[in-house]
Amino acid sequence: MASVELRGLTKRFGATAAVDNVSLTIGDGNLVCLLGPSGCGKTTTLRLIAGFIEPTEGEIVVGERVISSPRRTLPPEQRMMSMIFQSYALWPHMTAAENVAYGLKIRGLDKATVDARVKAILAVARLEALAGRYPSELSGGQQQRVSLARALVVEPETLLMDEPLSNLDANLREEMRFEIRRLHDQFRTTAVYVTHDQAEAMTTADVIAVMNGGRIEQLGSPEDVYERPVSEFVARFIGASNVLKGQAIDRTQVAIAGVPVATTGRALEPGRETAVAVRQHDIRLAPAGSGEPPANTLRGVVRRQVFLGSSRDYIVEMQDGAEVRIAAPADQSITPGSAAWMHLDPERCRALTR
Amino acid sequence: MTRLARSTLVQPEATRLRLDLSGPVLALFAALLVILVVLPIAWIAIFAFSTKDGGVTIANFVAIFGDAEFQEPLVTTLVIAISVGLICCLVAAPMGWLVARSDMPGRRLVRTLVTASFVTPPFLGAIAWELLAAPNSGLLNQAWRAISGAAPDHHLFNIYSLGGVIFVISCYTFPYVFVLVANALDRIPGELEDASSMLGARSWQTARSITIPMTLPAILAGVLVAFLQAMNLFGSPAILAIPAGFHTMTTKIWSLFQFPPKPELAAAAALPLLVLTIVLLRAQSAILGQRSYAVLGGKYGAPRPVRLGAWRWPALAICLGLMLLPVFLPYGALFNAAFSKVPSKLITWSTLSLHNVHFTFFELSQTWGVMRNTFLLAVLSGTVGTLLALVIAYLVARRAVRGHRWLGFLATAPIAIPGIVLGVGLFLAYTRSWLSVAGVDIPPMILYGTLWILLIAYLTIELPASYQQLGSAIQAVHPELEEASRILGATRLRALREITAPLLLSGVVATWCFIFVAVVRELSAAVILFTSDTKVLSVLIFDLKESGDLGAIAVLGLMMLAITTAVVWLANLIPGAEARRQASQM
Repeated sequence: MASVELRGLTKRFGATAAVDNVSLTIGDGNLVCLLGPSGCGKTTTLRLIAGFIEPTEGEIVVGERVISSPRRTLPPEQRMMSMIFQSYALWPHMTAAENVAYGLKIRGLDKATVDARVKAILAVARLEALAGRYPSELSGGQQQRVSLARALVVEPETLLMDEPLSNLDANLREEMRFEIRRLHDQFRTTAVYVTHDQAEAMTTADVIAVMNGGRIEQLGSPEDVYERPVSEFVARFIGASNVLKGQAIDRTQVAIAGVPVATTGRALEPGRETAVAVRQHDIRLAPAGSGEPPANTLRGVVRRQVFLGSSRDYIVEMQDGAEVRIAAPADQSITPGSAAWMHLDPERCRALTR
Repeated sequence: MTRLARSTLVQPEATRLRLDLSGPVLALFAALLVILVVLPIAWIAIFAFSTKDGGVTIANFVAIFGDAEFQEPLVTTLVIAISVGLICCLVAAPMGWLVARSDMPGRRLVRTLVTASFVTPPFLGAIAWELLAAPNSGLLNQAWRAISGAAPDHHLFNIYSLGGVIFVISCYTFPYVFVLVANALDRIPGELEDASSMLGARSWQTARSITIPMTLPAILAGVLVAFLQAMNLFGSPAILAIPAGFHTMTTKIWSLFQFPPKPELAAAAALPLLVLTIVLLRAQSAILGQRSYAVLGGKYGAPRPVRLGAWRWPALAICLGLMLLPVFLPYGALFNAAFSKVPSKLITWSTLSLHNVHFTFFELSQTWGVMRNTFLLAVLSGTVGTLLALVIAYLVARRAVRGHRWLGFLATAPIAIPGIVLGVGLFLAYTRSWLSVAGVDIPPMILYGTLWILLIAYLTIELPASYQQLGSAIQAVHPELEEASRILGATRLRALREITAPLLLSGVVATWCFIFVAVVRELSAAVILFTSDTKVLSVLIFDLKESGDLGAIAVLGLMMLAITTAVVWLANLIPGAEARRQASQM
């Protein structure tokens, strides 16, 4: 077992940097999730770790060993890693069991050991009955489990996963999220997981690295990135926050649509443009009362509301024209067109660094 | 489950310096391709602009284009090519639609018959049509005289005419258009037509506004291919036009190699063919590039066939009637000639004879040597050509070396070189004595008169198609399949051997067969490059024409077809098709 460390990793294709000076330490046995929209450099980072491509700058260190640098790159087969591919990459000319046994055969294990270990891992992945089938005879979820079993059976030092669930339908995806977490808890392999789905990242990861434009935008536990986003990008990408913009009044308050709003997160510089992130369900909506609204309350007009079953989705337009999205309790119905107050909990209003 | 002992894993060796082989690999294959492709063309260009003693001149072009003897073949060639293009389009496009989109009965049968005319070597078809429609001895003309009681010198058809040449070339060129159109229609999802119907369009409106526009690029591409085929074909015009007393460009080039040879003029005459071919291929890819409606992603149902109603059977009758011309009648004539004492007389029980077969195999001294040459060349070309195309296609598809695009370009370039032009180029490249170009003495490399020069010709001619076939086979093997093997500990070579190779097997076998069959029937380059010791089957058939041995020609032609059919059939028996089938389902 070993930690994986990326030091100033950069990969340029022509003039564009797909990965731009990324540094990241993945502790032994941790599952780190690279989360970001398509084109953010997460898959390139993963392929750099796997050794399919060489870095332009920086290096990758596993334990004490430098395995990638611009000068020399250890070929993928010598990295003691496994990978789960987006397409699963099951070999169509081998049965499920043959696919799983392949890595063990390459390691030169004797037939009895190979058979025993294949049998054991197929049991873990609940695939015993399907051992003799060819990939084309398996469903998407079954193929995905064969791919998992094939990667885990060799007991890699590092497990790489490239959007492993993106080809599954919604129900199965949710089930497999927990399956991956369960297997990770069981094997505690150092793992890197690439996805664009924040729910997937939340369930599976110990640490999430939110990536944007080839850089790591924020690194932290799922709670960190969810509760304490540092940038507008992270706030919007994770958990769909409202980002309200205004001018800082003093060290804690920002004027939003003319209303002073108390924030938390960092000391503000008075007079500067500041963005504040508020989650949709952290805003308390009420019909506008008579008189002045209480502190930390914005005024607006309901533009649209949709009943979603467990909640009601509102869009409220503020006086300055900006729209705020609110997840209100399902039984609270305010007619579109009527005035409303939006109370913001100061503890939930995060002033963003960027 | 308990954790398995980690110690059983083999620890790999320490960091190994990555050997960068891409430079040498690229150099090697680039050099090979230069020898195969660039060299012959360069020699054509040099000779076209040279005087007999090596000076620079444009006199050869003046001689070619200023002389009516050359202008007429040029005009004839264009007339033939345009007519063939139009006829093929008019016949093949509706037929392709009937087979792909209608409920006409016997659609598979029609497809099979078109394939049969596809695999018929055009020169063999031309000989068969001589048997059928030569003015005096042609079977159809004999039948006409018997029925109508016309005078013995009267004839209904004369295949030795411009019309005859156009007709015979069309018979064996229309499959190109047919295949392109039928494939395009197969690929248009039925939903696109259904969507139009749902919006209230009638069948013919849907056909006019959806189906036809979507097929148009394929039809246009098909017409261009037919045009190119007709323009660069040597066999059929050599057999039919020369007796009729006129030339096309290809036969004219060939005649310049008859004694006394005038290679400079041949080179100058070959250049226009080359240039026109390149221009038309550019036009074709521009048409297909702009208007390719390849439908990506999504699941589509099979298209709903258009109901022909009462026209179902008449449509089939018309299709089968048309197939009389390229398949039934010519093959009938060939069988008739092969097993009859007098090839130009319709066979009866009393004239049934194995005389021609006996003559061909036991009396004709050349047969066995020619067969040996043909087999040797076909097997060698198939093997070397497949390997070459496989490596290049792999390097290009996986971007394994820098400069891979150049390899791809060079491998595709011969598609623009007509067989006869390549023949001329190779003749010039490997026949000459010492030559001084711009003060540099180039030593001779004489391959003329050996089988090597034919091997080089075949490799070059078949490279583009085999490269493209294997390229798409490799594209179908997702790179992640190899990467999955690498990351589990397999070296690049091992991943190639255990993952990529088995998945490519059926594609490789198919390409080998394709080259084998194409080599057996190739005539236009061989007819320039053969010598008496290096004669091949197609050239022997062509030569026997001169001596009028129609019975032996028919026997050899049918044998050629039997060999090619057998090879294709055997190849389909080889396992690996299974793996391929599963791969394609992924």
